[in-house]
Amino acid sequence: MKFLTTTALLLIPAVACAQAPAAKKLPYVYTKWKQFTKADGLPNDHIFAVKSDGDRLWVGTEGGLALIDKKTGKVKSWTEKDGLPFRVVTGIDIDPKTGDVWLALFGGGLARFSAGRFDHWHQLNSGLVNDVVYGVAVENNNVWAATTAGASRMNMVTGEWTIFTEKNAPMEEIWNYGVHYRDGKVHLAVWGSGVLEYDIATERWKDYLDPDAEMEIDLYRDDGIVHVITTGANYVDKVLWVSTYFGVCRYDGRNWRAFYNMDSGIPSDFNNNLRARSGNEAWFATDKGLGGIMDAATNTWVAYTRDPKSNTGKAIVSRDKTVLETVEMGLNLPHNYIIAIDTDGNDIFVGTAKGLAWGIGDGYYAGVKERPRIITENRSKAK
Amino acid sequence: MKRGICAVAFIAFALLAAPPKPVYVGSKACGACHNGRSMGHQYSKWLLSKHAQGYAALSKPESREIVKVSGLRGDPWKEPICLGCHSTGASADERDFDETFRVEDGLQCEACHGPGSEYMGEDVMKNREAAIQAGLKLPKEDHCLGCHIEKGSHTAVLKNPTVDIAKAIKEIAHPLPKPAKSTPLPDGRGGKYIGSAACGKCHNGPGHGHQYDVWRRGPHARAWAVLATPAAKASVARYNVTGDPQQAVVCLDCHAVGATADEGIGCEACHGPGKDYATEAVMKDRAAAQKAGLRIPARTACSHCHKDSPGKTFDASEKWTTIAHPTKLPPVAEAPRYKTPLNMAMRPGSRELWVALEASDAVSIVDTAARAVIAEIHTGEAATDVTFTPDGKRAFVSNRQEDSVSVIDADQRKVTATLKVGDEPHGVLTDKAGRFLYVLNTASSDIHVFDASSLQFVKKLAAGRGPWSLALSPDGASILATSTHGNLNGFRKPLVSEVTVIDASRATVAARRMIHGANLMMGVAWHPSGEYALATLNRTKNLVPMTRLMQGWTITNGLAVLWKDGTVDEVLLDQPGLGFADATDVAITPDGRYALVTSSGNDCVAVVDCAKLTRLLKSASKLERETVIPNHLGKSADFVVKTIPVKNSPRGIVVASDGSAAYVANSISDSVSVIDLHALEASARIDLGGPKQETKQRYGERLFHSAKISFRRQFACHSCHPDGHVDGITYDIESDGIGVSPVDNRTLRGILDTAPFKWEGTNPTLKRQCGARLSIFFTRNLPFSEQELDALDYYITTIPRPPNRYFTPGTKYTPAQRRGKIIFERTVTNDGRQIPPEGRCVYCHMPPYYTSRKVFDVGTQQALDRTGKFDVPHLNNIYDSAPYLHNGMAMTLEEIWTVHNPYDKHGFTNDLTKDQLNDLIEYIKTL
Repeated sequence: MKFLTTTALLLIPAVACAQAPAAKKLPYVYTKWKQFTKADGLPNDHIFAVKSDGDRLWVGTEGGLALIDKKTGKVKSWTEKDGLPFRVVTGIDIDPKTGDVWLALFGGGLARFSAGRFDHWHQLNSGLVNDVVYGVAVENNNVWAATTAGASRMNMVTGEWTIFTEKNAPMEEIWNYGVHYRDGKVHLAVWGSGVLEYDIATERWKDYLDPDAEMEIDLYRDDGIVHVITTGANYVDKVLWVSTYFGVCRYDGRNWRAFYNMDSGIPSDFNNNLRARSGNEAWFATDKGLGGIMDAATNTWVAYTRDPKSNTGKAIVSRDKTVLETVEMGLNLPHNYIIAIDTDGNDIFVGTAKGLAWGIGDGYYAGVKERPRIITENRSKAK
Repeated sequence: MKRGICAVAFIAFALLAAPPKPVYVGSKACGACHNGRSMGHQYSKWLLSKHAQGYAALSKPESREIVKVSGLRGDPWKEPICLGCHSTGASADERDFDETFRVEDGLQCEACHGPGSEYMGEDVMKNREAAIQAGLKLPKEDHCLGCHIEKGSHTAVLKNPTVDIAKAIKEIAHPLPKPAKSTPLPDGRGGKYIGSAACGKCHNGPGHGHQYDVWRRGPHARAWAVLATPAAKASVARYNVTGDPQQAVVCLDCHAVGATADEGIGCEACHGPGKDYATEAVMKDRAAAQKAGLRIPARTACSHCHKDSPGKTFDASEKWTTIAHPTKLPPVAEAPRYKTPLNMAMRPGSRELWVALEASDAVSIVDTAARAVIAEIHTGEAATDVTFTPDGKRAFVSNRQEDSVSVIDADQRKVTATLKVGDEPHGVLTDKAGRFLYVLNTASSDIHVFDASSLQFVKKLAAGRGPWSLALSPDGASILATSTHGNLNGFRKPLVSEVTVIDASRATVAARRMIHGANLMMGVAWHPSGEYALATLNRTKNLVPMTRLMQGWTITNGLAVLWKDGTVDEVLLDQPGLGFADATDVAITPDGRYALVTSSGNDCVAVVDCAKLTRLLKSASKLERETVIPNHLGKSADFVVKTIPVKNSPRGIVVASDGSAAYVANSISDSVSVIDLHALEASARIDLGGPKQETKQRYGERLFHSAKISFRRQFACHSCHPDGHVDGITYDIESDGIGVSPVDNRTLRGILDTAPFKWEGTNPTLKRQCGARLSIFFTRNLPFSEQELDALDYYITTIPRPPNRYFTPGTKYTPAQRRGKIIFERTVTNDGRQIPPEGRCVYCHMPPYYTSRKVFDVGTQQALDRTGKFDVPHLNNIYDSAPYLHNGMAMTLEEIWTVHNPYDKHGFTNDLTKDQLNDLIEYIKTL
């Protein structure tokens, strides 16, 4: 007891010292934004998927597929009359070896866009389990599709299709919302079944559920995934990030950490999707704006929102629930309802219910650091 | 803890609930009970039957020829199709056999009655319903016809190829007496006797003269079983035997000398009990083996049992010859081995021309100065194309039949490595820097990319359908790949073929040029200016009746001009009165003046003046270029400056780097023609060393590739059946109106045993199919003569089929394939309904060809079809012949059932879940 007391006393100044400089350290804030809408050539303003590929940005919309040349800002688009097999593109992934673009089609199955040619797999002409495909991920020689009736995997070498449902995976519900591959693991975000992890090497499943099994409340905080109705899962730096309709969470392999609007900077607990940039930084697509946790260790967030009345935007920097900085800016998001996010290098791309936002990360840095307060007001209309 | 208990309970429940999987146990296990007079001598009847010798028959010399005319290349005793009728459980995998099962026992009880492990128990077998529930099958005559229907391959070779089924069924009838009572098999010799099967483990195959099979086919193997016959019963009276001869010691002395009685006179009857000498180490030393007990019997030893009997003299000399089983097989006259040069490449920095030889599985090296072959290197099965690294130190040869690429040290003339690639590799090429090797897999429609230095596989790119040849642009920036098949773009839609453009710096596909109206795109070459490339093509008018040949435009042949800006022109090389059948390869002279194009159907090379060609195109209007010139038979006169005759079926063509000569591979003449590019004449011919005589098969091959048969030489058999396979096109054949009764093209691989022919099954023989019918509906010319037809049909039957890519016999099925097999053979729907026989996959698609060879209505008749009954297609390698169904309206295997089987007329499938259908398709791909 004496030892513990002494240790505690010694730790108090150390913690205080650590907190004091941290309070001055701030995350990067995107202040330079471009927007793309139908007026710029997008087939539709409802943006369901974004995927950056070097100088190119692929955009999946409710009305077709678009490609933005990042250098020129020019937009090229494909609709059904151009050969796109189905107009609603809800997921995009790129085969890193071939450069082929894989598309999840919401009601149309799966497509591969390869050098101008669309190849189409659907539930009638292939082993795809269902045509309502929410997400797609390329894993080595396989393509995974998250569908409303389970997950499908196509082996691109043998053509073999494998369906994963409650029959052969710990999938209590089969409504798959998202699929993501990285570092030897495929993660499925399943509506009502949490997150399922498939280990490529062992071919085994592992499920992440909410241990308290309560649908309405998170009874025991940080006991596991915040809720089994998940919308996205990303695995980066051996850290699993999960978005749900009831908050988001992070799992480092040992500890879970939940983040809610009530005690963090996330704009809302209703999350449509996420994109993790690292084990320390992740971005969340909420119904009330874009939330980026920029330093998980200190629970430091930047929330980007748009005022629909003034058409101006702002970013609120907070730690826990304490606002550290508010950065007013003219242009950021075209809409606060966010559906898709991607990051590439320093930049971020955000698909909203009313167009695409491209945050240009000049001077971007990871984590937090000491910097002067941002007083820049970005009124650029450049696109 | 609670969770642990639950888990254990779950596993236990799963084990209890899982139905046991029946496995094959072998006839010997059946014979343990089904023996003796009170069991109707059932086991002995089988031992005496041809069925018991089914496997042993495969090592007979005539089996080789049967295999050949079945389009197979392997040993008969290993070929799955042969084993399908000559062994038991040929489509099962290794997990489906009990250790008591032996394939050498041929067509065993379980071939007809199903794998027996679950019904063989006495308690089950005594209750027929229970036995049936446990898997016992009681076959009907139809079951026999799966194998005993007349097979062209057997008719062509055997003296008595057919079986009178009604008579045969009576012969093999083995009714069970009532009441039935089993008699135990008499004891064998035991002791040091190990049994003939143990000898047969080594003494099999050609290396041992098929000794075990020779014994199986001989009367000694049936010596015990024969005691069950009425004749034996009658003749044993003189030995004072009154009971069952099969149990009488005096009979067994000469009728059962082996480890077990049922093997009759086994190997050890003459050679002595084998226990002490049967190991390989001992047997390799004859003296040691003899010391350990191996007897080398003298003819006189036979007299112990074989004595003259009343009215019958035993001729020991004759019998000795009959049972002779020398280790060394008598020499068999080898069929002439042709060369069949296909594609060529000049070795950089040398005067060596390397020629891929399809028929001799090799690459030939020709010294172009000496105009002589200086070396030949064995590569792999069906060498097809050859290329080099830019420094010329390493060559790559694609081997189409074995899905590999041979890597050759060009200086050492040695194969140093073999790369595993996709299905049926064809074109090969390295980029300008020699970084990557590109391999076109023509059957799997993809491109394998290898690191040309480390030989490591890098990636796979999606190609067009049936990628064929490659060409590197002069600046090295891009590579073009042609496609022989048009895209699967829908039922009766106009043809569109792809030329794939590869970004050579990134080894990715940069663009896909769509060539409208074209198919069979093969050769490709860049003009040295880099302004355009030329690719050969056919323009097949498959949407109108083929009988329009008389109007001169059923199949036209020419070139695609692929401009560097992505636009495409098409021109024809045909003339109004003479076709340029099967434009196959193209090469352009270094100065860009001429393009040389081979016509494999018309045995010639067209010399195209490139400047005239481009001038014609550039002076034409957009409309003319899109609609007139691609179809105009008269335009070739404007730019084809000469047609140079060469030898039979020219395929590849290359031009020497100094532009002095071009070399043409005359595939069916086993030679290379040399074209003097100054004189524009064939100046010499280099003999590649093939046999000088023309066999019937070779003659047929020549006819198959020649357009001489068609009106104004417009196309050859090969034009629609490239390399004996399919072109993936649905044809409107007869002149009964546009679009009436369209039919999907079908492969010729392994065709002989799948009669009748045509989708409506109206042609009973190949002779009829390729004779008058061909003349009426296709060639509109005099039909083949009797002699020609005989040779052509013979060649067609020998067109080899590639091995199945989804299952290798002797290996295990994947879990999905295994589940699919159960669905393929199922008799009950998911909801417990009995499936009527005609609703089961295996009813019409019975092994080994997976066709009943009957016509059947599977509900696919369309408005313009004149009948709904169509020939049941075989399913061997079905994955490589899309589209499907009689008219090609199913683009994929899945669509056969998801789209075109709404009323379960094409098998009961509508109760299948999606994953079950996937499993079924995975299994079908293994057939």
